[in-house]
This record gives sequence, structure tokens and C-alpha cells, in this order.
Amino acid sequence: MDMRVKTWNWRVAMAVAVLASAGLAARGAGAKEMAPLEIMLPIPAFMGTPVDIPIDEHVEKPSDKPRPPFMAPKGVANVALNKKVTSSDKSPVSGALDLVTDGDKESTDSSFVELHRRTQWVQIDLDAPHEIYAILIWHAHHTPQIYYDVVVQISDDPDFTQNVKTVYNNDYDNSSGLGIGTDKEYFENYEGRLIDAKGAKGRYVRMYSRGSTFSALNRYTEVEVFALPAK
Amino acid sequence: MKYAHLILAAAVVIVASALRFPRLEDRPMHTDESVQALKFQGLLEHGQYRYDPDEYHGPVLSYATRVAAWLGGVRTLAEATEATLRCVPAVFGVGLVGLAWGWRGLLGRGAACWAGLLTALSPALVYYSRYYIHEMLLVFWSGLFLMAGWRYARSPHWGWAALGGAGLGLMHSTKETFVLQLGAAAVATGVLWGRRWRRRGIPWPAGARGWHAGLMLGVAAAVSAVFFTSFFAHGAGLWDSIRTYGPWLTRAEGDSPHVHPWHFYLGLLAWTHRGGGPVWSELLILGLAVAGGAWAWRRRGEDSPAGAVGRWLSVYAVVLTAVYSVIPYKTPWCMLGFLHAYILLAGLGAAGLLGAVRAMPSRVAAAAAILVACGQLGVQAAHGSFGYAADPRNPYVYAHTSPNLLHLVRRMENLARAHPLGRSMVVKVIAAGGDYWPLPWYLRWFERVGWYSAPPEDPRASAVIASPRWAPELEGRGMTNLVAAGHFGLRPAVFLQLRVEPDLWSAYMASPREPED
Repeated sequence: MDMRVKTWNWRVAMAVAVLASAGLAARGAGAKEMAPLEIMLPIPAFMGTPVDIPIDEHVEKPSDKPRPPFMAPKGVANVALNKKVTSSDKSPVSGALDLVTDGDKESTDSSFVELHRRTQWVQIDLDAPHEIYAILIWHAHHTPQIYYDVVVQISDDPDFTQNVKTVYNNDYDNSSGLGIGTDKEYFENYEGRLIDAKGAKGRYVRMYSRGSTFSALNRYTEVEVFALPAK
Repeated sequence: MKYAHLILAAAVVIVASALRFPRLEDRPMHTDESVQALKFQGLLEHGQYRYDPDEYHGPVLSYATRVAAWLGGVRTLAEATEATLRCVPAVFGVGLVGLAWGWRGLLGRGAACWAGLLTALSPALVYYSRYYIHEMLLVFWSGLFLMAGWRYARSPHWGWAALGGAGLGLMHSTKETFVLQLGAAAVATGVLWGRRWRRRGIPWPAGARGWHAGLMLGVAAAVSAVFFTSFFAHGAGLWDSIRTYGPWLTRAEGDSPHVHPWHFYLGLLAWTHRGGGPVWSELLILGLAVAGGAWAWRRRGEDSPAGAVGRWLSVYAVVLTAVYSVIPYKTPWCMLGFLHAYILLAGLGAAGLLGAVRAMPSRVAAAAAILVACGQLGVQAAHGSFGYAADPRNPYVYAHTSPNLLHLVRRMENLARAHPLGRSMVVKVIAAGGDYWPLPWYLRWFERVGWYSAPPEDPRASAVIASPRWAPELEGRGMTNLVAAGHFGLRPAVFLQLRVEPDLWSAYMASPREPED
């Protein structure tokens, strides 16, 4: 095939995809004016993509390109900053829970809280119900690793017994007992994991995990919740 | 008060045991530990041992483990646990504490007690006392050899000569690097007394006999012959014990992934603080050792036994440190030999500092201050033994197996429970360059396991554990029907993938499981 035709086809396909996704996003957001989400990224703690890494039906292939812009309604901001954090682990191995929302997402010795092994969660109280568009999680980005059983839920109930919306679940073997998830596992890096919450409403955001390929402990460096106050 | 020092020494041995023996199974096996375990299997199950000059180091570790297995009623490797193996270096680690008491006639009772306490609490010595490798045994035999040699020099008796010979033979039969200890001892002796001997001749101690030297060398040779020939069943072992230095010298020259800068060991001992973990430092030992050395050198003109031993130890420790630091090949456990010498000097330093304080209340306060400082060593040692036993923030955790590998092992156990053949199901482990250790230890209960460095012609199996890089080749050989059943960290940034038959995965998901992490 002629190389120019190939390139042209690729461009048309990309344009259609971008327009379609922008249209879908606008529909999902109630036709609000959309803008790329502004995200401040930490300094990468390791460079490049590791070569000999497991990629299968449960694991997303890491990209060596920057994450594409995430479109969210204008005015969306990180409402988790300095908000109260609670956890299933009342006495973390190291660090304090407020480090999860202190704005420091660098991979340094003092920027994370580390919870004990097995399934643990941290929960952020946003003080009021919000329409949540994106949740960004940095577990630990000092070395390539996959966190197990990443489950993210939103609710109005601080005990997460009612009106619980699961916006992400990659526990494919149900080892955490929250139900089998179909989302992909992923390699941690400095960009963090951006989860599309699709405008789900709630006051509390809870993130589960069950250790990683690097450590049985559960590290949380930072969580950001991009949202608008709920009407 | 007559037995105060003895009671104190007993208390120190108890503390040392409490840090070394509990929860020996907790830490995942290091590659080197699992290799030694599999080497031991032949001796345990078939009574056969052959010294290999290319790998595994000397025979003493395996034979000592045979004794531990016999005491524990263990007859096969499947019956053995990590504790069966690791209790061996732990015994020698506690033995090294007890050995400090043997130095009391040379360093003084106080110094021996302080040295014993520091040996009991040193984070590095504690950590590697729980590690199934040769190092702690070598340090113990070296300590025995040096102590017996000095006891002989002070009070010649054929018993000390024979004990020194046994120590020397056991050093040789434990690890090839014993020559470095021997060399450092010779240099220390030559530096301190060589000039004087040239002028006045060697001042043999009264009672020393030429046949004592012969006895020492004879015992050393006999001990070496017994072990290297596998109790006279393998005569070539003796020649192999000399031939071994070829491959080991290649490694020492830097043909290895374990090449580190000259300050590697001193940096580890001085200060490590990683990733929000605790601070690790043995500066207390180094500081007291400097004090001990200074104390000994200030008594150069005096006829002080402790001064002479201290001066000799200071030269020996510095020379051994320099030798190990110059060699490009470095692993953290190699520093234990000179660390032990620093600890003996530190005992002298602590006793010397307290001796310099005249008033009793001040002396008690100074002793209490050193004890408190020793306490923080104990806290570090406890962290190293328990909370941070496999955590890379612990500086003594080196090229270590990720705890996540135990997740894979437990998943394999759960899969076997779900499989109609149980542990007889076919398992294939395919890792580039044979980088699958310590899995041979952990899968020792499985009866049909194949081990491969590259995908075999027929990779079919109920479960396949493989390096991710082999995924395309395995798919090309008809492995597309297998289900991805997890990915696990072998070491930091080194992964293994598990794939299983779809029916097995369904059975696994449907059956009750033991916790895997």
C-alpha cells in the first residue's frame, strides 16, 4: 500500500476518534463546556519503560508517550487537597494519612503513607457531595510495579454500605472479595493512574489495594479528586 | 559479684538467641540460600556430597545442616523448612557471642562482655545469622582460630594449638575467602613485630614447642581432608579445594553483577536511610572500635596483654577492610569478617572509656549511656530480623527475593488443591538464563516440575511460570489457550507470569482458597 494513503487513513481515523470521544464526553457531562484537565506531575523517579514486563489480558501495556489530555468540564478542580483521610489501617507502617491529600506526589521518603499488608483502603471526605470526573492515584512510583486489587468507589455513605458506585475494579480473581473486576492492572509511574469517574456523585471516595508486585504493603503517595460541587 | 560477668554473659547469649531464632521462616529465601538448600538435598536424602570448585563454597555448611536435620528428625528436603536450614547460621551467630567470652583472658573481662553484647546486637551480624549461607560459619571459625592463636601466644599449650588448627581447617572447609582473613592476620603480625623480630629474633613464648606448630597444621590438614573428600569418599575433593581459586579469582576481578565502589562496606556500616524506613547505622561500633584502637596504641610501651591484642586487632581489621574494599566483587555479608574484628576492638574501647572515668557515679552513668546506645543497635537488629527482613530499605537486604514471590507459591498450592492430580500436576518453569531461583526450593513438594532457560519444544502443562519475554514464543507454540493467572515480582523489576489451563482456573476460582499474600 502507498505510504501516503496509509498516513491519510490513520489521520482520518484519529480525527474521527477524537471528535467521537469529545462528543461522548460532552454528552456525558450534560453538554458542559469541556477543557483539558490540568494536572501537575511529579518528577519521574525512573526513566523509560521496563523491557521484560508481564503483559496479558489483565495488564495494560505501559506507554512510552505522555498520557493524552483528559477532557473535563471547565471549572473542575482537585477538591481532595488537604481533605480529611481515613483508612482501614488505624496505625500505618510509616507516614500519616494526611500525606495522601497534602499535594506532595513526589517519590521521596516523606511523601507517602504505608499501610499494612492484605486488602486496605484509604477514604477521602470531600466535605460535601460532588460531581466527580477524574480520580488520580499515585500509589508508589519509585520502581516499576503493579498494584493488586485496585478498586475505587464513590458514595454518600461514609461506611460505604449504601449507594456505592464502583468506578474502577481490576481485581480479576476477586481476592479482595469486592467482586470480580474487569478493569486492567497497570504499571505505576510518575503520571499516576487517572480514573474516569464520569461525573459520579458522592461525598466520599474510597480506594482499595492489596499490595503490589514489589511489596506486600500498601503505599499511597497522593490522591487527587477532580470534581465540581453537586447541584 | 564473683559470677557477675558470667551472669551478664549468659544474659547476652539469651538476647542474642531472641534476635536470631524466632520466625526464621518469615523471610523469603534468597537465591543463594535456595541454591545451598538444593545442594544439601543430596547429602540429606542420599548421604552424598561432592565439593564443587565452581560453585556453592565449602562443605561445612551442608554437613552442619545434616546435624541440624538429624536433630530435627528431617529426612527429606520436602520435610525441611526454612528454620531447619537457617537455625544453622543462627547457632553459629549465638556461638560467636559465646566466643567473645573466650577473649576475656586477652582483652579483659569487661571488654569481652562489651564485645559479646555488641556481637549479640550488631544488626549486620544478627541479620546474616538468620541467612542460610556460609558467612556466619566462617566468621565463627575465624574468631575461634584467632582466639586460640592468641591464647597460645599468651600461654602455650598443645590444646590451644590443636584448637587453632581445627579452626583453621574449618575456615578452609567453609569458604574460599578464608585466605583473606589468613592474609590479614599475617600482615598484622608482620607489621607489628616483623622489624623487632629481625633485630632480636622471634621471641617464642616460654613453653612453645616446634611440634605444637606441627600439631596445629596437622589438625588443620586433617579437618580439611575429612570435609573436602566427603569423609574419604571423594579423593579429588582435596585437589578441587585448591583448583577452586581459578573461578573465584575471575569473580573477584569484577566479572560479576556484584561490582561496587570501594566505600560500599563502610557506607553500609555508617549510615543508611531509605524510603521512609528506619535509620541503619553501626557507627557506635565503629566509634568504639576507634576508641579501642587508640586505647591500645597509647599503651605501646607497656607490657599490657590487652594493649598488644588491641594493636594487632586494629591492624588486622584495617587490612581486612582494605582488602575487601579493594576487591570489586562485593556482597554485604562479606564485611562480617572485619566487622567482627571491629566489635572486639569496640569491646576494648568501651572498657577503656569506662576505665578512664574515675568516679563511680560517672562510670555508672557512662556505662548506662553506652548501654542505651547499644539498645538502638538492638532495635535496628529487631527491625532487620522481623519487620524489614525482606524490605529493600534494610541495607542488608541485597538482591533479595521479593515477598511477592510467596504469593505465587501460595497460588500454586491453591491451584494444586483445585487440580485432580494435586501436586502431581505438570508444571513448567521457563525463565531466561535460569533466573527462577528460589522457586526450586518453594516448589519442592511438586512432583512433576520442569525447569527451562528457554521455551521447550512442548511447553504444554497445567501451569506455566515464565519470564514475560517468553510470552510471544510460548504463544507461537500453541500456548494461547492458557489463562493468565497472575504476575509476580521475583526481585525488584524482575517479573514472572503464571498461566494455567482454563479448566484449572475455573476450578481454582470456584474452590475455597487459602490466603495467598
